[in-house]
Amino acid sequence: MYLIRKIRSQFNSWALLSVIFSILILLPALLIMVQLFAGSNENWEHIKEFMLKNYIVNSVTLVSFTGLFTVLIGVSAAWLISAYKVPMHRFFKWGLILPLAIPPYIGAYTYHGILNYTGVIQTTLRNQFGIKVDQKFFDIMNIPGAVFIFTMFLYPYVYIITRSFLENQSSSLIENARLLGKGSFMTFTQVVLPVSRAAIVGGVSLVILEVFNDYGVVKYFGIQTFSTAIFQAWFGMGDIYSAIKLAGTLMLIVVLILILEKVIRGRKQYSYSTSKVRPLQPKELKGWKKFAVLSFFISLFALAFGIPFIQLIHWVYMTYDVILNTAFVDLIWNSIFVAAIGSVIIIIVALIIANFSRLSKGWMGKLFSKITVLGYSIPGAVIAIGVLTLFLSLDEKVFTVYEWLGLEPTLVLSLSISMLIFAYVVRFLAVGFNSIESGFDKVGTVFTEASRTLGMSVTKTFFKVDIKMIKGAIAGGFILVFVDILKELPLTLILQPFNFYTLATKTFQYASDERIHEASVSSMVIICISALSIFFLHRVLEKEPK
Amino acid sequence: MFVQIKNLTFHYKNSQKPLFENLSLSFKQGEVSVILGESGSGKSTLLRLIAGLEVPSKGSILIDQAVMNDNFRFVQPEKRGVGLVFQDYALFPHMTVEKNIKFGLTKMNRKQKQARMEELLAIVGMEDYASRYPYELSGGQQQRVALARAMAPNPSLIMFDEPFSNLDSKLQLQIRNELQEILKRTGITSIFVTHDEEDARAIGDRIILMNNGKIQDEGRPEMVLKSNKEQLSLAYV
Repeated sequence: MYLIRKIRSQFNSWALLSVIFSILILLPALLIMVQLFAGSNENWEHIKEFMLKNYIVNSVTLVSFTGLFTVLIGVSAAWLISAYKVPMHRFFKWGLILPLAIPPYIGAYTYHGILNYTGVIQTTLRNQFGIKVDQKFFDIMNIPGAVFIFTMFLYPYVYIITRSFLENQSSSLIENARLLGKGSFMTFTQVVLPVSRAAIVGGVSLVILEVFNDYGVVKYFGIQTFSTAIFQAWFGMGDIYSAIKLAGTLMLIVVLILILEKVIRGRKQYSYSTSKVRPLQPKELKGWKKFAVLSFFISLFALAFGIPFIQLIHWVYMTYDVILNTAFVDLIWNSIFVAAIGSVIIIIVALIIANFSRLSKGWMGKLFSKITVLGYSIPGAVIAIGVLTLFLSLDEKVFTVYEWLGLEPTLVLSLSISMLIFAYVVRFLAVGFNSIESGFDKVGTVFTEASRTLGMSVTKTFFKVDIKMIKGAIAGGFILVFVDILKELPLTLILQPFNFYTLATKTFQYASDERIHEASVSSMVIICISALSIFFLHRVLEKEPK
Repeated sequence: MFVQIKNLTFHYKNSQKPLFENLSLSFKQGEVSVILGESGSGKSTLLRLIAGLEVPSKGSILIDQAVMNDNFRFVQPEKRGVGLVFQDYALFPHMTVEKNIKFGLTKMNRKQKQARMEELLAIVGMEDYASRYPYELSGGQQQRVALARAMAPNPSLIMFDEPFSNLDSKLQLQIRNELQEILKRTGITSIFVTHDEEDARAIGDRIILMNNGKIQDEGRPEMVLKSNKEQLSLAYV
């Protein structure tokens, strides 16, 4: 009786829509899981016997070493920037985040372009100094090279989360360690590392998910991983069946890693609750120490942003007159079009689920918010295969209806842009959702309750009160999602309709055709939009009162 | 009886032990009742249950003989016609005082809304502040606006959750007297929740002393405060 009334007290159109959206978001992953345990075929037997081991070894090697190096670099940069003051402190503080604006695949072909036989380094050595170098020292198209690329362009994930933890949460602990007579190194190893463990694990798990998600770098460098295998199965052999099996296996690995993350992090959150947040005061450095820290920051910034950025500017200068034509305008329009539609849908869905989940205090709301976040952990290629399976089977149904109606049967849905946008929603919903959820968290429920006691329904309250109070979070979420879609590569490559390119896929196509100079203009557009959004978000975040 | 609570049982989501078990209580029309208790005694939750912001696990609540909830029904908060003044006022920060007060006036035309808004601003003595935003007001002024907003839709019952706790002691006294006067003038049934004995004594026609989700005593203020003097002095020292 109580249950019925409880459901009735909370059931409304918000709940219904949340249920529908959650099911839609779960469907692709579920389809893959179901098929993973279905029977086998010849291709898959072949892959399993001869290639799977190689994919696993390569993927795991990439993930482990990238994880290790991003932690080393990200954590030390975070510690040095929060504990010490060096010249240009403010610049480095957020300049070290900037590499995030360069998607790893763009970094990969840029570095290859710099280092190869016709690149700037070798030609200078040859022409100016008459030095011919052994190519093997300049070849980065291998696993160590890929680890270098991933580390350079992904370490900011570890850096940002660890830095904000250190700055905001740990000042009293660190100051106490100093007062108790511990030197810098001891403070770092005995206090900083253990207390920021949860933050570091959080950051590095984002890095790992990005490495699993990557297709551009490994494909360009010719490294066999799960992503390249999924592409090979689908585009090379037209075998959706093996693609699903590969996708399912990769998904299982990712789930295992997420479980591992939970175990390592334990019950710890990124922040422990103290109401008094006092920022850590950085200490002035002198002498060789100042010089050493400064050189570290300069080299890191140069390698991860400065050098590739300058190289791209040079290439843009060389090629812009060829590239900038009406086709390029179409390209930008396509990219903005899918990114804008995708972002709007994501924000609407995220608003509905987040609002339902915060107002219904029960398990259902919690469950929905968990489902929403699922997509971000699953690599793009896997989602693409799941969505493709879903739309192909839908098309079969539509097919029969068409035949029955006597119309000419075609593949309607699986060739359309709606499939691509649906996949974006599944993949990036978490990004918009997290932003909106934290906006709601800050506001609390008291205004909603006030509105309801004044006679407004949940829906009227939502439009008149709730939505207006989280405007900032909505804008922030929109920007983040927009940029993520703009940069997205693997999923778009699999699902883009025939003759439809985005900035990201065109860049990749140019690079694959060894026309890396031509790829620079579209890369530059992506990097500039990303950098602007990073700048904007961090300005907003830093200004916001905590 | 204007508000009747019968055999009410309520659990918080994560707790095994119910906060209220078979609680029964009623409030007379036009009466100013004060629920007095320490923090954690369940007094604010009781207001939220009456307002429909929490769902009880058992029991029933009737307001003006209409069932708000029992084992089969649950009337949503917006349909209950109950005003609630929140502890931190919850004035909508993106709306002016005028918009805040007009917010609950859904069934009126523009002219009627304006008239009602002006009437209420006059009652709380804030005529000159209609175009201000909440953050441009002092604590006492916000309090008055919150009262005006809650009274605007003409609720049959108005409830106050620790209405004076955010005011300094001098202002507290002044607002308390004003509020008492307004309530007497309008004759509206009201329920206060407070932990302050003095507030309870000054404003209440009746005090309900609450402890750990149970009603320990109820009656006229002097009586309740006198017969529970020892316990109260211990609790509030």
